[in-house]
Amino acid sequence: MIFADIIFVIIILITLGGALMTVLSGSIIYALMGLVTTMFGIAGLYIYLNAPFLAMMQILIYVGAISVLITFAIMLIGPLYKKPKEWSYPLKFILAAVVALFSFFVFAKVILKTQWTVLSKPFAISTKDIGRLLFDRLTFPFELISLVIVVAIIGAVMLSLYSRGEK
Amino acid sequence: MTGMGLYNSLNVYLFIGLALLACGILGVVYRRTLISMLISIELIMNGAGLNLVAFNRFVAPDNAYGMAFTLFIMGIAAAEAAIALAIIILILRRYRHVEGAKLKEMKD
Repeated sequence: MIFADIIFVIIILITLGGALMTVLSGSIIYALMGLVTTMFGIAGLYIYLNAPFLAMMQILIYVGAISVLITFAIMLIGPLYKKPKEWSYPLKFILAAVVALFSFFVFAKVILKTQWTVLSKPFAISTKDIGRLLFDRLTFPFELISLVIVVAIIGAVMLSLYSRGEK
Repeated sequence: MTGMGLYNSLNVYLFIGLALLACGILGVVYRRTLISMLISIELIMNGAGLNLVAFNRFVAPDNAYGMAFTLFIMGIAAAEAAIALAIIILILRRYRHVEGAKLKEMKD
């Protein structure tokens, strides 16, 4: 069982290191690589939470789709060496770090003070149960999500088509 | 014999989600280009999804609502990324840059 702990700590370090790399790296493409690293770490955490279907969906959707989308956007905005660096000036970084640490400590206090009613039952939700839930009880939100995605795709196409003439 | 059991406590997952939220807030406030801000928003959404799955695993292990909601979050994130990137391409086409601090036409 100690082996599982070691792998869990490694996955946590991958996740947090990827998040820090996303935030602190100097260029956008390194930030994207950090985001991909974080996504893989979170997929590992989903496997530890007994949710392998969500881990697979995480890798498919985030790593497979959204990262490719952001990569294409980065390629479309042109050469990166002409852009100014992400490290602007240190005062802004200090203020942003103050904001982030403030929210971190507020929510950490909330987490530590709340008594969660943790049930020690075994967790046995399979993919079949998720599918039953999605198509049985949550059918209307599920269809609504698909409608939202269709509208978003049509909106993106419209935005990039009909603004070509104006400059 | 059973190890630390670190992966069986709720607080560990909550703190990982919280760290992702803090990193996302730092990125949204601090980064300059709009694409970096979008990447940071994706971090925040991932932290939220991790929290939902952790609560589903530990607090309500009988049903799968947290997992279904995380799937919905993934769909919403995909739609949001598509729209935001279209808007970023528009901004680039019109102003020749993608920096968030320089977009102050409505402020002036």
